[in-house]
Amino acid sequence: MKRTFLADLHVHSTFSDGQMTIPEIVDFYGKRGFGAVAVTDHICEEKGVLGRAASYLNLCLTPATFPIYREILRTEAERAWQTYGLVLIAGFELSKNSLFNHRSAHVLGLGIKEFMTADGDVRDLARKIREQGGLAIAAHPVATGKFEPQTYHLWSRREELRECFDAWEVASGAKFSHEVQESGLPLLATGDLHRPSQIESWKTVFSCERTQASIFEAVRNQDITFTFYKEHTADSQLRAWLRAPGAFDLDSRDFYGGLGNVAHAQTS
Amino acid sequence: MVVWGTWLTLKHLKPPSERVALEPVSILKPLKGLDYGLETNLESFFRLQYPKFELLFSVATEDDPAIALVQKLMTKHPRVQARLLVGEVLIGGNPKVNNLVRSYQSAKHDWILISDSNIRVARDYLQAVVAEFTPDTGVITALVSGETLGTGVGAALETTYLNTFYARWTLIASTFGAPVVIGKSMLLRKSEASRFGGIELLARYLAEDYMAGHAMKLLGKKVKIMSEPVVQMIGNYSLKEFWMRHVRWGRIRKSQAPLTFPLEPLLSLWISGFFMAHSLTVIAGFAFAKVLCSYVAFWFACDVVLMLKFRQKPNFRNAAAWLARETLQLPLWIHVAQANTVNWRGHKLRLKRGGLLET
Repeated sequence: MKRTFLADLHVHSTFSDGQMTIPEIVDFYGKRGFGAVAVTDHICEEKGVLGRAASYLNLCLTPATFPIYREILRTEAERAWQTYGLVLIAGFELSKNSLFNHRSAHVLGLGIKEFMTADGDVRDLARKIREQGGLAIAAHPVATGKFEPQTYHLWSRREELRECFDAWEVASGAKFSHEVQESGLPLLATGDLHRPSQIESWKTVFSCERTQASIFEAVRNQDITFTFYKEHTADSQLRAWLRAPGAFDLDSRDFYGGLGNVAHAQTS
Repeated sequence: MVVWGTWLTLKHLKPPSERVALEPVSILKPLKGLDYGLETNLESFFRLQYPKFELLFSVATEDDPAIALVQKLMTKHPRVQARLLVGEVLIGGNPKVNNLVRSYQSAKHDWILISDSNIRVARDYLQAVVAEFTPDTGVITALVSGETLGTGVGAALETTYLNTFYARWTLIASTFGAPVVIGKSMLLRKSEASRFGGIELLARYLAEDYMAGHAMKLLGKKVKIMSEPVVQMIGNYSLKEFWMRHVRWGRIRKSQAPLTFPLEPLLSLWISGFFMAHSLTVIAGFAFAKVLCSYVAFWFACDVVLMLKFRQKPNFRNAAAWLARETLQLPLWIHVAQANTVNWRGHKLRLKRGGLLET
């Protein structure tokens, strides 16, 4: 059954530089009525100094922590679905960090199964993600507006890499890029959430079944829209009303999530 | 740091204030061979005062001499629920986990206590562990104090090490948020462990205890060190055995924490003492030898306090063992730094970064 719901497909946990554990992320998004969330912790380059330092500081996934990560995501996906009707997607963010913005690139892999290193050309990384049956997303390819090194490498090669990615982030966190929007590339908006306060950010609205396959299909077909999610907006009364027992004969959990998110889309 | 660590240890070692609901517990005892004092160690678990528990002994092979001993104890204590499981399951490179898997999977209770064979416990041990388990707890472990039963230089060094340096730095690391879990005694809930793949997933790591704590922390659960230590009975133990055991531990630390490993020499008596004495000589003009001697004496005094707390007599033999162990720390660190292989109960294992075992 098709339903409208919000999704954040770029979220970090304590496995890398996020502040929330994976169970906390599930509860955080589940209680807000989201329909899907992807946990995408960093995997850094093994060959680079910055990547190796991040690995030593436990700021990214490693071959040692990945089996635990994958298993926690698997068990939490069951709990997320049973408790909230939330689709939890396993992902990672292959992070090629350099002191130079034009050499830096981040690539999201969604629906991944196996560990990958971030070493090598981004074209090969995207191909390997797709070989796992995952979605390859170009993460924040233009300025993020954050005080951090920017990742322009993908944008510099956008024509060459056009077919390598299933989507390009048109919005990352609170920053929306008209440049990407007007590029004609397939798009996706994500929150790139590291801490709870970053929940007020751009999200993607889906109208499809709440399954990973349907969500991926919607991204590939670009059957999606974008909205800026704000907490405590005018629809909070609507949310409270919908939460009331007996308000609808429908499954209140699904209905609340879907309609609440549409309200967000309309108010944005 | 020495004073702080000593104070932390003294503060930590106090009896728990209350007793709570005592859940049924499955106690898993992986065995290999006849350790010194094994019969008395194992029998202390048959004598536990606890409403409901089961003992699950496991050995990897049919010819293990521990089998006869366990059967004898099971006959001697027929009222205690106990089972012996023979045969390992090769699910990873960690021989201890391979030995534990069958007993873990056949455990009747959700609460699992894994305890090494060389641990001897008091009758109220199980109550004390369970009493400290709160809903936000992932794993409860214990400090390990040493008690020398046998002879050998290694035994004296090991006992002194456990009762001083080890206790202090375990608590300091724990205070800084490191999920320190010591496999000698670890209590967890099977239902919680299944959220990260259970003990089966830990077979790929050498330090399965540390990784259990790490995984629990990643689930948002706490790792606690119970306030009462467990006692490791140290039998006949040569210097070589002591050395090789610490090479193994050092290489695990090196693979798990590659950034802090290079700093470890700074924690040794002589290196830190040298820097202290040199600094005060340059800055304040003190005599180098006097500062160094005072530093060593002060450090020893702090360690005597810990020895007394762990009921180790600070006699001449132990003082000599203390000095020898502190002096061996730097050459041991150099040996550890040179390779990534370990020998563990007849198994030669190679470590990769993050504590992964090479398959």
